[in-house]
Amino acid sequence: MIDHLALGAIDLLTSPGDLSSVIVEGLAKASLYLMIATGLTLIFGLMDVINFAHGAFTMYGAYIAAGLMLALVTAGMGFGTVMFIFIVVLALVFVLLAALGTVLEVTLVRRLYEYPPIYQILLTFGIAITLEQFMRMIVEFRNINNGQWNFDWASPRRQTLPSELGDAELLFIQFTNLQLFEIMLGALTAVGIWAFLNKTRYGLFVRAGVEDEEMAKALGINVQRTFTIVFAIGSGIAGAAGVILMWDPLWSTSVPLALDVLLPAFVIVIVGGLGSFKGTVVASLVVGMIDALGTWAFTTGVIQFTGIDELMIFTILVVTLILRPRGLFGVEGMGDHG
Amino acid sequence: MSLLEVDDIHTYYGESHILEGVSLEVDAGEVVALLGRNGVGKTTTMRSILQLTPPVEGSVIFDGEELVGRDAYEVAEAGIGWIPEERRMFTRLNVEENIRAAVPDGDGVPAALETAYETFPILRDRAGQRAGDLSGGQQQMLAIARGLVGDNDLLLVDEPSEGLAPQIVTDVGRALMDAAEEIPILLVEQKLGLALDLADRFYVMDHGQIIDEGETANVSTEDERLRRYLSA
Repeated sequence: MIDHLALGAIDLLTSPGDLSSVIVEGLAKASLYLMIATGLTLIFGLMDVINFAHGAFTMYGAYIAAGLMLALVTAGMGFGTVMFIFIVVLALVFVLLAALGTVLEVTLVRRLYEYPPIYQILLTFGIAITLEQFMRMIVEFRNINNGQWNFDWASPRRQTLPSELGDAELLFIQFTNLQLFEIMLGALTAVGIWAFLNKTRYGLFVRAGVEDEEMAKALGINVQRTFTIVFAIGSGIAGAAGVILMWDPLWSTSVPLALDVLLPAFVIVIVGGLGSFKGTVVASLVVGMIDALGTWAFTTGVIQFTGIDELMIFTILVVTLILRPRGLFGVEGMGDHG
Repeated sequence: MSLLEVDDIHTYYGESHILEGVSLEVDAGEVVALLGRNGVGKTTTMRSILQLTPPVEGSVIFDGEELVGRDAYEVAEAGIGWIPEERRMFTRLNVEENIRAAVPDGDGVPAALETAYETFPILRDRAGQRAGDLSGGQQQMLAIARGLVGDNDLLLVDEPSEGLAPQIVTDVGRALMDAAEEIPILLVEQKLGLALDLADRFYVMDHGQIIDEGETANVSTEDERLRRYLSA
């Protein structure tokens, strides 16, 4: 077994094509994980709210985007038009989910800030179940998938991706344009959040409020409003991640997507350090690379165990909790958005 | 009508009755010292004015407006600045960001930075340094600068000399004296000499109540009555 793994590792390291494929796939996966986990870490970092409804927001983003793409994209459209519609849908989903997040924060979550975390966990868990069952009612009980409307949620992906995006090669590195697209969106997310936190006044208020909420208030910062904005942005990013997942062949537009997303998001947030955006970026890279390595090992026959990706990801979680319980960049009692 | 009128406020920490009917006033153009031993309720009085620990009874009128029941950020917006006892830097923000955070409307940031750096030139050299890496004296300078740059009509200053080297205490005292020429101050200070130098009037607190008051011009650091109140 050990010999087999060692031979596989040597094979990978001596094959530039395979190695570069794993790295590109790892970066693409890391980008997806980053988009999934960023909203969660933002909301926890400022508000100490562990938002179990996060995955449901992503699932809603995927369904809304798929529905809009189904309605708007027709067979004769060119690639540029489809991409334009996709970008508009992405922005629209962000706004819609940010609005949903705002409503939930103002009407429900805000009431529980003064209570122990278990109250917020129970509340957001309840919101998650409610949102999931509501969507299940729509797509299953109303039989939208196979009934009178015969919606095919995967068709937006088939219409445009991955075949229409095609493959490309740079130097000796081969990649699909979907991977490139995901990496670009991941980089955009990282740079955008970094710029928001470090280059805007609201980002400054967020970081001040994270560290000392009372002092921030005493300086005239409306921390409550800042909480609402962060919750909205976090929810919007979660929804936008759903739009990307709708397109990625490894994921799917389905109700279980909520849970499929929530688990790796929690792993990344915990491994990176609760509330640390820098930690989330690094943990996304680590988990993405290991996920890609697991996929390579399975597809090349080095390991014949279908759950190798999950096994490796959760092994990282366990090892991190044993060796560094606060995560890679976590600090006790406060978030760090540096 | 005084700029600040605190009238018969009662404040609790849980079941503990901390302030038992505190009343005091601060007029425009004056510095008022709040004196007393540790634990008699001086800081709680400031926190009650700021609505960080809101009083259960009584009223706090600032510039003709009731503050009780408002959020703490609204108190700051109304024009009351706070230089807290523990400095309360945002230790992960750098010096410049700490000052920027004290100007929430954003328009006055360049002027605020200039004011802070003119008052304490060392802060200009440390502008990009994380506040948590500053020395205790530099942190106190930053805390005072942060209070001075806000658009404030009254400053609440809590123990500004605590834990500082004598030379730094002199710098801090000078900065507060300069500030007092432009803005009224309610000052809590254990060093009686510094308090009497800065203040026009004083209140003495004990067991959550005001037990004495007077003009600083009529007392000295050797005053038996004051020394009795302040001795442990």
